[in-house]
Amino acid sequence: MYVRVMIEKELVAASTEPLILSLLARGESYGYELIQQVKELSGEKIQWTDGMLYPVLHRMEDNGWIKSRWVEMENGRKRKYYAIKKDGEKALKEKRAQWSVISGVLGGLWKEQHV
Amino acid sequence: MFNLEQAIAEWRRQLRAVGIKSRAFLDELESHLRDDIEPQVRTGADESRSFATALERMGQPAPLKKEFMKTSNLKTKLWRTLKAFVPGAREVRLPAIDNFEPAALQTLQMAPDEARRFNHDFVGTEHLLLALTRSGSKAVANVMQKLGAGEEILRREIERIVSTGAATVTAPRIPYTPRARKSLRLAADEARKLNRPHVQPEHIFLGLLREGSGVAALVLKNLGVRLETARAEILKEMGASSSAG
Repeated sequence: MYVRVMIEKELVAASTEPLILSLLARGESYGYELIQQVKELSGEKIQWTDGMLYPVLHRMEDNGWIKSRWVEMENGRKRKYYAIKKDGEKALKEKRAQWSVISGVLGGLWKEQHV
Repeated sequence: MFNLEQAIAEWRRQLRAVGIKSRAFLDELESHLRDDIEPQVRTGADESRSFATALERMGQPAPLKKEFMKTSNLKTKLWRTLKAFVPGAREVRLPAIDNFEPAALQTLQMAPDEARRFNHDFVGTEHLLLALTRSGSKAVANVMQKLGAGEEILRREIERIVSTGAATVTAPRIPYTPRARKSLRLAADEARKLNRPHVQPEHIFLGLLREGSGVAALVLKNLGVRLETARAEILKEMGASSSAG
């Protein structure tokens, strides 16, 4: 049976910060690009309401996990770029450990049941 | 004819209307919108269609505002927590005393003496109250007598609830407690509200009543004085003395 998988709201919310931290760990980026990457990587199964990303980014910046700077582009437009900070890397490490536990436990259980 | 610049300006107005007022946040959202529109237009979609699609993906202003508020609330909360721990950040400053009239200034001078009598190294609301009874203000003295809280009764009740310090206070200057400072700020506010150019002892009395939770207020309550009654009485006295004078 084919199931059209859409990640439910709660899970999307819980995974937002680890996703952002993981993407920024690969290099500086900006809101639109982050959203595009998540869309691509998830095969469009993770859907964010674009605007909602920004309050999350600001919250993470308040936490001291990431930092931002405005960059002027060639066409004169400005874009705000985000980069990960030391505390962000630490937070990512912790989140990664947590998600690994959950995914490991579920993975193990499902393997036994041959689902 | 669709005008993208106008449409974006109008959208920013809508966001401001729901309460998203931060310029930086609006700029960032606008930048995102343009990031979304540009590739659509480049691949042949018309501006109006691209704008609509981008808006759809962006989400409604109201939920956005709600999410945005969570961030600023966090900041406020953080600031409050910080203020509780950073010395001085929480401090209530004394009002400017250059518009205190002589009798009120004298009260401020006598309050530390009252504190010293108790060997207290701070000037609290109770010391201000005792100093007030000696300020020479007829209105305050009358009201206190009337309410059964004359100077001696007051002093005894204060002695009963606060303990006298162990050692004589030798510091040349004794600081005001936050409640006392607040009471004095409220006193200045009372004078302003009553359109008086100077702060009088009566206003300090009103300030102590309005502060409402310091030792002074507690003592009055213990003596059966209702703060609202005291307030009404002092205002009546002030009215009488100002019309007489």
